[in-house]
Amino acid sequence: MPKTPIEVSHGCARNNGEPYVPQVCRVIDIQEQTHDVKSFRLQTLDGKRPFACEPGQLGMFSDPPYGECMFAVAGVGEDYCEFIVKNVGFTTNHLHELSVGDEVGLRGPYGNWFPYESAKGRDMLFIGGGIGMPPVRAFLRHCLAHREDYGRIDFVYSASTYDDLVCKDDLFNVWPNEPDTHVHVSVYHAKEGDGWDGAVSYTAPYLEQVFAEEGLSTENACAVLCGGPSLFRTCRESLLKLGFAPEDIVTTLEARMKCGVGKCGRCNVGGVFICLEGPVFTEAELARMPRD
Amino acid sequence: MLLKKAKAGALLDAIAAKERLFVPADDRGTSRFVAYGAGVEPRFDLLNTKLPPKDLLFPATETLYRWSRDGADLAIDSAFAETDPFTVFGLRPCDMASVDRLDAVFLTKGYVDEFYQAKREAATFVAATCAHPGRACFCDSIAASPHEAPTADVLLEDAGEEWVVTPQTEKGASAVEAWKPYLEEGDAEPIKAACDLKVDMAAVPEKLKGMFDDPIWSDIGDQCLTCGTCTFVCPTCYCFNIDQDVREDEGKRFRCWDSCMFTDYTAMAGGHNPRASKESRVRQRFMHKLTYFNDRYDMNLCVGCGRCMRDCPAAVDISLIIDRIAASEPAQEKEAMAHA
Repeated sequence: MPKTPIEVSHGCARNNGEPYVPQVCRVIDIQEQTHDVKSFRLQTLDGKRPFACEPGQLGMFSDPPYGECMFAVAGVGEDYCEFIVKNVGFTTNHLHELSVGDEVGLRGPYGNWFPYESAKGRDMLFIGGGIGMPPVRAFLRHCLAHREDYGRIDFVYSASTYDDLVCKDDLFNVWPNEPDTHVHVSVYHAKEGDGWDGAVSYTAPYLEQVFAEEGLSTENACAVLCGGPSLFRTCRESLLKLGFAPEDIVTTLEARMKCGVGKCGRCNVGGVFICLEGPVFTEAELARMPRD
Repeated sequence: MLLKKAKAGALLDAIAAKERLFVPADDRGTSRFVAYGAGVEPRFDLLNTKLPPKDLLFPATETLYRWSRDGADLAIDSAFAETDPFTVFGLRPCDMASVDRLDAVFLTKGYVDEFYQAKREAATFVAATCAHPGRACFCDSIAASPHEAPTADVLLEDAGEEWVVTPQTEKGASAVEAWKPYLEEGDAEPIKAACDLKVDMAAVPEKLKGMFDDPIWSDIGDQCLTCGTCTFVCPTCYCFNIDQDVREDEGKRFRCWDSCMFTDYTAMAGGHNPRASKESRVRQRFMHKLTYFNDRYDMNLCVGCGRCMRDCPAAVDISLIIDRIAASEPAQEKEAMAHA
């Protein structure tokens, strides 16, 4: 049976009133993921989910008097949106000081989303590194929630050390117990006494190793990739080397953002804006864009 | 209909009695569009003002919302407000063409920017043609004609002692109706000198697509001081930052003009910066103006007003850059030559 081509939609912006003004939300849950990563669940003041959104879309999270930052929505529940935030700068440092019950600002959703419709029927190979987890997690959770729509699911995930692995509960307790779902975790550096006895490898070679050991095929597969600049570059090369067609590799980009609606100018790659037409692009599309 | 330049003052007084009116005038060592009133001497002899009129629709700083904190509680109030009608009198065709560009950015592609839209709908634009374009003007070979402004509400064609007045929109027609007491019947021949400076844009947007790694960007990068002057005096540069003003437990979030020439424009938390070098930022500026924007909105993001050339402290000249791009070999030919 010929597979449906992967189609990423880029024309999905919609006008949702005043695009720059956030709604007030309350932090209802905070989980300490690692020494510098926390996850936050946000809910409107009347107990509802702040917005409906598709896997891969973005939300602008603000904490007056500090700044606002764009994050991929890591997951949505019945009555909350979830964000996973690494403490890397001024605003994220203050986000990490939030307590349950604090009120914050949230606007969105922005951008396009993963092609979960056209990927139906495919084997899914997810690849993530470190804080590249949130968008991948959103798509992976969508696939698990509609398990019968997808083939075998593999998730190759790496982080610098065992301590830096985000969403350990999902990685080790939840996802491996889902039907035909295989989680492969590596760390870049093993530390004495950290309890890690699994693979020690960078993501790209580990991806190639898993692919061979598990006897995976590119035949009817779709690869989904998110991670920092060096992981992104090396894994793109590995996927092409393994024989994935550029059309079957789906990635999500990030950039500094201010407006979220393709007006303020800074998140462009060539003529497209990551916040509006992106952040999700196929490798085939990236290859046609300038290396901006 | 004709408007005698000598009698323009009476018309301006009449317009200003009804609504806010902005005219080109000297202002604290520079020139820009200022609110007409006592002590303001309109400068219709200037070609374009030193500062562009974009701030009338897109202020240099504009509050988006106010917030206040009380312990864990947060309140957010939008600062959006409707705008009273106003008239911009005497802007040049290049600046009118820049409004077309701002319209495309703020009013199309999915999201309508309400803050911009409110001002745009309140504005009546009265454009004045340029009888004798200036030395740095090249609008007629890139974006506009010095003698036309098709999207202006009213066109004033310069005929020496008087302007030929033509309404071009419904809004313009009702404005001119109200101006009748100050106008005279008759006709005059508009003066129409062409720009001396010319650029050849025909092949530029396509050629640039193959010039991402061209040495031109490091050459301009060496020359450029990345001061950002070009972007602030440009009538079409629209990039903005969103920042805030904090007073203890309350504050406002505002947007303000930003510049792609600045290092922190694209700097991300954690230290990664996709455009850390001057070369990459200069490339972004010219690629955006001359090819990316064309692909997205079907027009150049340069209107040939010459402001950036006049005010650049390092003599970066967009007309010479366009010449160099136009004269460059296509990328494939270059590659073939390198392998020969």
